[in-house]
Amino acid sequence: MTSVTFKHFVAIVVLVFAGVMNLKAQQPSADDMLNHIGMLKRLEAMQPDSIASKYQLALASLNFAISYPHAAQTENMLAQAQQAIDQMAQMKDADQSDLCTLRGFLLMVRIVQNPAQNGQKYYLDVLQAYEKALKLNPLNTLAQELQAKFVEGMKQATAQ
Amino acid sequence: MVCQMTAQTTITGTVTDGHTPLPAANVFILGTIDGCLTDTLGRFSFKTTKTGQVTLKVTYMGYNDYTRTADVDELHNIDIRMQERATSISEIVVTASTFSFGKSENFKTIDALDVVMAGNSCGDVVAALQSLPGTQKVGEDGKLYVRGGESDECQTFVNGMHVLVPYSTNTEDTAVRGRFSPFLFKGINFSLGGYGGEYGQALSAVLPMETTDLATSDKFGVSASLVDWNIGGTKVFGNSALSFNAALTSMGLYDQLFTQRQDYTRPYRKLAGEMQYKKEYRRGDILKSYVGYDLTSVGVHEGERNISLKEHNIYANLTYKTSIGRGSTLFAGIANSTVWNRIDDAVTAGDHYRNYRSEIHLKTELHKVVNERLKLQAGIEDYIRHSTLTFAPHHYHLSYNIFGAHADAQLRLIPKLFLNLSTRTEMMRGSWLLMPRATLSYIPNKQWQLSLVTGRYSQTATDDNLAQSNYTLGQSTADHAILSIQYRSTSSLLRIEPYYKRYHHLPLMQQGIWSPDGYGTSRGVDVYVEDHSISPRLTTTLAYSLNDSERMYRDYTKPGIPDFASRHNLRLSLKYSIGKCIVGISESYATGRHFAQGTTPHYNSVDVNLTYLLSPKVIVYISLNNVFGRTNIHRYDTDGKGITSSRDRFLYIGIFVSLKNNKAYDISNF
Repeated sequence: MTSVTFKHFVAIVVLVFAGVMNLKAQQPSADDMLNHIGMLKRLEAMQPDSIASKYQLALASLNFAISYPHAAQTENMLAQAQQAIDQMAQMKDADQSDLCTLRGFLLMVRIVQNPAQNGQKYYLDVLQAYEKALKLNPLNTLAQELQAKFVEGMKQATAQ
Repeated sequence: MVCQMTAQTTITGTVTDGHTPLPAANVFILGTIDGCLTDTLGRFSFKTTKTGQVTLKVTYMGYNDYTRTADVDELHNIDIRMQERATSISEIVVTASTFSFGKSENFKTIDALDVVMAGNSCGDVVAALQSLPGTQKVGEDGKLYVRGGESDECQTFVNGMHVLVPYSTNTEDTAVRGRFSPFLFKGINFSLGGYGGEYGQALSAVLPMETTDLATSDKFGVSASLVDWNIGGTKVFGNSALSFNAALTSMGLYDQLFTQRQDYTRPYRKLAGEMQYKKEYRRGDILKSYVGYDLTSVGVHEGERNISLKEHNIYANLTYKTSIGRGSTLFAGIANSTVWNRIDDAVTAGDHYRNYRSEIHLKTELHKVVNERLKLQAGIEDYIRHSTLTFAPHHYHLSYNIFGAHADAQLRLIPKLFLNLSTRTEMMRGSWLLMPRATLSYIPNKQWQLSLVTGRYSQTATDDNLAQSNYTLGQSTADHAILSIQYRSTSSLLRIEPYYKRYHHLPLMQQGIWSPDGYGTSRGVDVYVEDHSISPRLTTTLAYSLNDSERMYRDYTKPGIPDFASRHNLRLSLKYSIGKCIVGISESYATGRHFAQGTTPHYNSVDVNLTYLLSPKVIVYISLNNVFGRTNIHRYDTDGKGITSSRDRFLYIGIFVSLKNNKAYDISNF
């Protein structure tokens, strides 16, 4: 009951969350980002056994999705990111901290896409994904930044 | 300075799906970074320094990769037609007859919290599930009744392991709650029929619940309300975590503050303790263990009787899931349920009812994804049961086991058409039962699902009936046939499910002798609508069930409508977020139920709730059930007296606090 109530309330928090998240600042245009992702995809095809290229592809796809959460290509980008994450998870040397970060990032995009509906569903997963990423690698700067932005969004929404 | 001049060739063309252009498809020469994305008209044009034979590759999410090997000079103005990728069997989630909460499969569809917080559930999973279509309102016991089936036809599983007694206990004609807290679970799959071969011993429905993953950090929280007090936490050690939770529920204070109809000599009290230990190994292998204990006690004065009830209920399970390579997963588990129940003055003054029930459930499962078209699952399990009853002049001791085995195959017949074939066999006291099951699903896109489900299901008679019949009753069976149509858009969900069930070998008592000659049918249609389109802050749900049931069982002298069944059940709920509050209101309606003494008036209840966040670590929750105070008659007793709840309204006020400094927005103890 305790958790249930809290979880439910956070739906409110994330309603305002999208406004707080400002990852779009100084971002290149959607076309530029897509071209960059296309390039990464070609690099990834050249090195199918490379974890790094899959990581970069997933990250770039998620960056596009959070920058343009309602663009026509966003769902494809999210599917592409999910695919890259799944492929990384199957690879022996994949960094588990990076995987957690990407999973948290993907769910964060889902919240930004539809805060009212997805907020209460995913907020705890996002927090836990970043927590786990940092537990596995306390120096994971991407996880630190994303977690800080997410918590900042939650705090600002709560303060209203 | 060396200048190397290299000839460049321009490659051009168009990418379509056969009808429309595909924008942002990635077109490139394999093994190089020479390439580009298609424009909004599907056109592409790029230069390459490659000469001779090259392989052109095109990728687009949701479509098969396209490759073409040709001389680079031939790759001008080419038309590329992409083929839509057939969905892999592993990606398919057939939703027919099932409501999935949590994230056990893909993204969440509906969140359990949507229903848990709506209306009168007060955090009870069982009450929350009663807001779904297919369930029926039976106010005098509060249990799950699904599609014209008895409450014990719905069985609960935690991490795949059976729970013998999933409800808390209370005196007769008082609604009970589910034993498990909703925040124990990350996924709940409530199947209202037509489930696969893995689940047995359930005639109507199954409720498999999966506990949360390993916690990522320490937790500690408390909560208090007029009726319950809770403390719990989790300590994380590397790749493992130990959690505990203790709760005391007591109606003593509430009974003093608010009047009620029953004359309690000892208020309802439940002391519950739970512990979990989870350990994650490399490759995602996971060990989960859970143990919970409840002690419930209540005393009530009724006529000449001073009823005194006490129950000890222990449930423990241990499961291990490991990946054994080549797409295979092995699961093994053991669970034990033990319940002692003692009631004094149970039926007449001076009597003593003593009941002991225990079950050990052993299970192992093997899952294998063979390829994109085929997924296999097989398993064996054993239920070992003991039961003793002393209730003078009656006394029995039962001991039996049920062995079960199943094999399931999920196939993609052709793109968009899926078949799940399974067979389950069970053996009890040397008698074998074979139960084939099948689901055919047509899933043309992400919006629509159409499924046809059929299968045979079985369940043993209750311990009392088995003992009285000296095991002659054996297993009852039910044949299910379900048609499921679902449409899902970004802002709404519509599901319509007509169904038909035919029961065989139900326990029937004729001239004082039990025989497996009972039978029955249950048919109806369930409709569920969820909508977010009016406002992103507003969630509206509507659940409607039409059910026509008829049975010849127990001591019936002729086929009749079972007394737990109501023909129409309707639930409408609204949930709206305003600033720091969430407000919920719901209306529940059910038509009357039929008893020998008459038909009850319809059931009606309007419930409201409010959630308010004081700070990220403190929240207040208030709910009021049956706002208008309507006196709902749940059933009639043998004297024709209407049985109602002990109070018409119920007010719940609770405060929830996270005491862990680094935690906010999450005060779940697990």
